[in-house]
Amino acid sequence: MKLFTRYNRILLITNFIGLIIIGFLFYQTLTYYLNKQMDDGLTEELMEVNDFTNVKNILPAPTSFDDLVAEYKKIKVANGRSFFADTVYYNPKKRIMETARYLQADISFNHQAYRVLIMSSKVERQEEIRTICLIIILPVSLLLVILLGINRVMINRLWSPFRQLLINIKAFNVNREEPFDEVISPTIEFRELNDAIANLSSKVRSDYKEIKLFTENASHEMMTPLAVINSKLDTMLQSNHLGATESETLGDLYKATSKLTKLNQSLLLLVKIDNNSQLDIEEINVKDMVEEKLAFFQELIYKRKLIIDLDLNPFYLSTSRQLLDILVNNLFSNAIRHNKEGGLIKISLAKNTLAFSNTSDYLKLDEDVIFERFHKDASSEGTGLGLAILKQICNREHFQLQYHYRYHLHTFEVEFNPNT
Amino acid sequence: MKVLIIEDELSLQKSIQQYLNAEGNTCDCAPTYESAYQKISMNTYDCVLLDLTLPDGDGLELLRHLKKLNKTDGVMIITARDAVDQRIEGLSLGADDYLIKPFHLSELNARILAIVRRSNFAGNNLIVFNEIEIDLQTKEVKVNDKVVYFTRKEFDLLLYFIANKKKVISKAAAASHIWGDDADMADSFDFIYTHIKNIKKKLLDAGCKEYFHSVYGVGYKFAEL
Repeated sequence: MKLFTRYNRILLITNFIGLIIIGFLFYQTLTYYLNKQMDDGLTEELMEVNDFTNVKNILPAPTSFDDLVAEYKKIKVANGRSFFADTVYYNPKKRIMETARYLQADISFNHQAYRVLIMSSKVERQEEIRTICLIIILPVSLLLVILLGINRVMINRLWSPFRQLLINIKAFNVNREEPFDEVISPTIEFRELNDAIANLSSKVRSDYKEIKLFTENASHEMMTPLAVINSKLDTMLQSNHLGATESETLGDLYKATSKLTKLNQSLLLLVKIDNNSQLDIEEINVKDMVEEKLAFFQELIYKRKLIIDLDLNPFYLSTSRQLLDILVNNLFSNAIRHNKEGGLIKISLAKNTLAFSNTSDYLKLDEDVIFERFHKDASSEGTGLGLAILKQICNREHFQLQYHYRYHLHTFEVEFNPNT
Repeated sequence: MKVLIIEDELSLQKSIQQYLNAEGNTCDCAPTYESAYQKISMNTYDCVLLDLTLPDGDGLELLRHLKKLNKTDGVMIITARDAVDQRIEGLSLGADDYLIKPFHLSELNARILAIVRRSNFAGNNLIVFNEIEIDLQTKEVKVNDKVVYFTRKEFDLLLYFIANKKKVISKAAAASHIWGDDADMADSFDFIYTHIKNIKKKLLDAGCKEYFHSVYGVGYKFAEL
């Protein structure tokens, strides 16, 4: 729920309940006073009746005006009680039932007790109440609506720096060099928030840069010792006194060294792809590149008796040759490495989508982790960085990378930018 | 052949020197910018191996200095830094080739030979080893004047082995020569075996002597026994 909606909801509910309570109290008070006024009128009528009987010694004739009715009834004993009450009576003139207020009192003269009932219509009074209520409630409601509208505009305006900040935070890219967009606001809170975010972003950026620099430097520094190891191995190999055991050890050392080298190169590559250094962009025929790579890997494919199913349509892409080369390379080596003996590799290039499918002994892979660095299954001989590099290239170049598993085929699909 | 090795990592420098000396070359070594500056000013080399990161200076400055002297020394950059722009800068300044650490000595040797060949025997692209004759221009191999057909990878391998004749070349070195960064692919080492077997067979069929010798499964040696 939006902050504004939430705020409005609370405001509306409070206002509504408040309005009802106030309206109720107001109505009650008004009714009370109006009743009292009517009661005074009725008492006056009774007093007039009393005066009349005292002077003339007879009861006045029962009256029946539009809104005033007086009735007299003989009773045995007057108990001297009088009370006011509400009732409904038939207005003969209007021919409708109307609410009324009446006063019932016992009077006695000439040793005869009478019960007097004076009744007055409440319709007009009620009309009055209704009008008064309307006069007050309508403007109050109108005021409320206006207030809500003003609130809305004000909140929108007041929170606009916040929304801008949010947009800026979402657009924040740790790799991009330009500083965080400042949002100018007269509100102190937003200014503070802006400053805090600006500080945070510059700190994140510098930390990230430092880490990248560290990775790059560490990898570079390792290259020279690796070169020394390699050259010493090459030198040892020239010795004429190598036995079978030593040779085997040397072979293992070579393998380990080349693996370490590859690992180092992959790390460097990841950092390099991340660095937004400009690369030369050229128009590349993706189909040609896939075919080139196929020739490049043919021994590996032949050795594992893999069947290649090619379905390539010409497609041209403007991008860095270096990156695309690594991308296709990684897709290929991935499809070969994780295949099974005599398996299938299906490569399709249609429209702007390049897909590599391969059979494997493994079932569906976990999409959430396969692109993570150093994620690999125990039997894998690789560095665990191949797919991470693939992902990184796709991120950088805004390609869509997808993995799915269907009909026993693991498919990695790269959708190149639709507008290139 | 006279080679100057400008490299501050002494053990690497020593290995390179040993390897190249065994090929019958003369090697000078310069571990610092200062000593390298003096040596390239005073002497002329067939090839200068240049490490870009020296403790007291930038290797690229040495390259500029060398070019200012109008010397024809071949220059091979060896560096751990492989930032793309640095490579291009080195090449545009007149370096003949570059090699990124770590590398195999056999690879280094083959590249040096290629540089020297290009600058010394302009136009002559023929390499002859006994009855084998390789034309670099047309990529043609002749054995006893008969053309033998090789695939591109086989041709590259043969050339590589001849450049490093009498040396043991590890499978790792051969694999990275052919496949570059992808040499670690699970069983790429085994393909070297297949390739060598094929080359051997083609050469033998053409009446060539047996030159490839396996060394305990670690590598191969191309030599006349």
